[in-house]
Amino acid sequence: MTRRMLAACAAAALLAFGHGAPARAADAPVYGVLLKTLSNPFWGAMEKGIRDGAKEAGVEYFMQAVESDQAAEPQLNTCNTMLERKPAVMITAAINSTILLPCLKRANEMGMPVVDLDANLDHAIAAKAGVKIAFTIGSDNVAAGKQGANWLVQKLGAGAKGSVLVIEGLAGNITGQKRASGFRDELAKAAPGLKIAASLPGDWDRQKAANIANDIMTRNPDLVAIFCANDTMALGAVESVFAAGKGGKITIIGVDGNSDAVKSIKAGRLDASVAQLPYLVGKEAVEKAKEVLAGKQQSEYTYVPTLVLTKQVLTENKDPLLQYMR
Amino acid sequence: MPDAAAIAAPVRRPGMRFVVRLESLAVLAVLVIVLAVLSPYFLSVSNFLNILLATSVIGVLAYGATFVIAAAGIDLSLGSVLGLSGVVGALSVNELGLPWPFGILACLATGALCGTVNGLLNARAGIPAFIVTLGMLGVARGLGLVLTNGVPVYGLDPVLVYIGQGRPAGVPFPVIVFLLTGGVAHFVLAYTRFGKYALVIGDNEGAARAMGVRVQRQRVALYALSGMMAGLAGLLFMARTNAGDPTGGLNYELTAITATILGGTNLFGGRATIFGTLIGALIMGVLQNGLNLLAVSSFYQQMAIGAVLVLAVWLDQVNRTRARR
Repeated sequence: MTRRMLAACAAAALLAFGHGAPARAADAPVYGVLLKTLSNPFWGAMEKGIRDGAKEAGVEYFMQAVESDQAAEPQLNTCNTMLERKPAVMITAAINSTILLPCLKRANEMGMPVVDLDANLDHAIAAKAGVKIAFTIGSDNVAAGKQGANWLVQKLGAGAKGSVLVIEGLAGNITGQKRASGFRDELAKAAPGLKIAASLPGDWDRQKAANIANDIMTRNPDLVAIFCANDTMALGAVESVFAAGKGGKITIIGVDGNSDAVKSIKAGRLDASVAQLPYLVGKEAVEKAKEVLAGKQQSEYTYVPTLVLTKQVLTENKDPLLQYMR
Repeated sequence: MPDAAAIAAPVRRPGMRFVVRLESLAVLAVLVIVLAVLSPYFLSVSNFLNILLATSVIGVLAYGATFVIAAAGIDLSLGSVLGLSGVVGALSVNELGLPWPFGILACLATGALCGTVNGLLNARAGIPAFIVTLGMLGVARGLGLVLTNGVPVYGLDPVLVYIGQGRPAGVPFPVIVFLLTGGVAHFVLAYTRFGKYALVIGDNEGAARAMGVRVQRQRVALYALSGMMAGLAGLLFMARTNAGDPTGGLNYELTAITATILGGTNLFGGRATIFGTLIGALIMGVLQNGLNLLAVSSFYQQMAIGAVLVLAVWLDQVNRTRARR
């Protein structure tokens, strides 16, 4: 019985592991890449960028991710495990700004440079914990907000008047705050006639954003534009605006450039989305990491450009950055 | 009235208390061998310490689950109580300015308090454990979010951080806590009257009552203990992450219960060992570590853990049926 049992276990285990065995040269330097979760198109695009970047740079890498973008402790455990393989560099997208610090400190001690993907780490907090970040690469969220504001002003004119609604991300989330504040500050400078009627957290949630849009349309009949800190919320707001019969009269802007938003823009519903280019972030991260290993000093922050997607931009299909949309 | 303890032991042979369900050990052994063959990075002291470290929080949580399940109960609030305990511990030091020992105390007390509430509502008010602890799952998680406004409380006292990140003699501190607590918990469940009563209740509550076991009081104590274990796990979690994180421990109760079942504990009570739970937790830890070393996607990892759980319990069923024949 025991023998048969063991055989069954072994068979199951082999089945489970069979496809995972890495095939690579024994002593070539390997880059370790730790993402949040692959069950999100954003990180999926980042992964493609990393894959293509590694191919072009001629380097090997192995990638890990955890089951959800909330799984902080599992990510720390995964990070510790990755160090066993002694990668040449650790490229990480930490789930929050502190969780990986003990692991990254060890990585530094083992001589690995640490790369921060998408600005998930805070350089000051990391330094306090004894972690040196070689460089941060990602989108500039403040700039993305500004870009949205400038596009709006360009569309409505600097002398435009009316109310504008800002729907922020999850309360307390830094990414959403940066996008919203970038938008608000730039709008105040570029078009003083456009007043912010409200700036409310939509918790990244489509339904919640739709409700907020409804409420503010009722309160401020002169509403001319809605800026949402991500596309999911913008798509919710679009539905409310069209349901209220104000489609085309209220300009709606999202951030991310995800595929649903692209569809909505092409269909003439959503007006614009400030697209991030995670593919480009992943690709450049690998290239720059290679330079760091070759001894080149990188500036602390590298920002990959963002791109305002509109129906015109999408149909003309001329902007060189469009090739990085995935 | 017969002595309950004498009848209590669900032990067929002397020495069985130490022996874990053979299937669990076999699964663990096979996993270790397979992984050692597949990955050149698997067999090393530092990797084994990694595995133990990664298993510490879940392991301690699973000890708590084991006590409750031994008595045919269930505690679904473990993960949320873990998160709340860490938050309260971090706040009491960072916001109230109390010295670090109170941070530790606050974690344990929060856990024990939640557990006691669970126990009272279950045993005294007669609400089913599944519902009471499901309610606590929501209440504790929500309270943690309210207390922190959803933002982790970052930057703890160095002593607390040492509990999570320190390595006395090269061994991570949480591992020491995990193994020592395991030893004590094993003793309590297998050798004390408290533990034996828990198993009798799980085996046959009516019989336990007839023997004079005060079932209600025992239940409250079991849930309080399980809550306190969640508090201890919350302390370790908080110390490891250097933050009181209100979202900490999300869904950990299911992982803890899985580890318990993998270790041979009967989900319906009456049969349970802490040593088995420790092995169960290690099976999951080894599997996760190995799949990470092999760079297998996290999607497959969840499938693998699910499959191993069903496999282990199935092997157990087969053997049991045979033994009865």
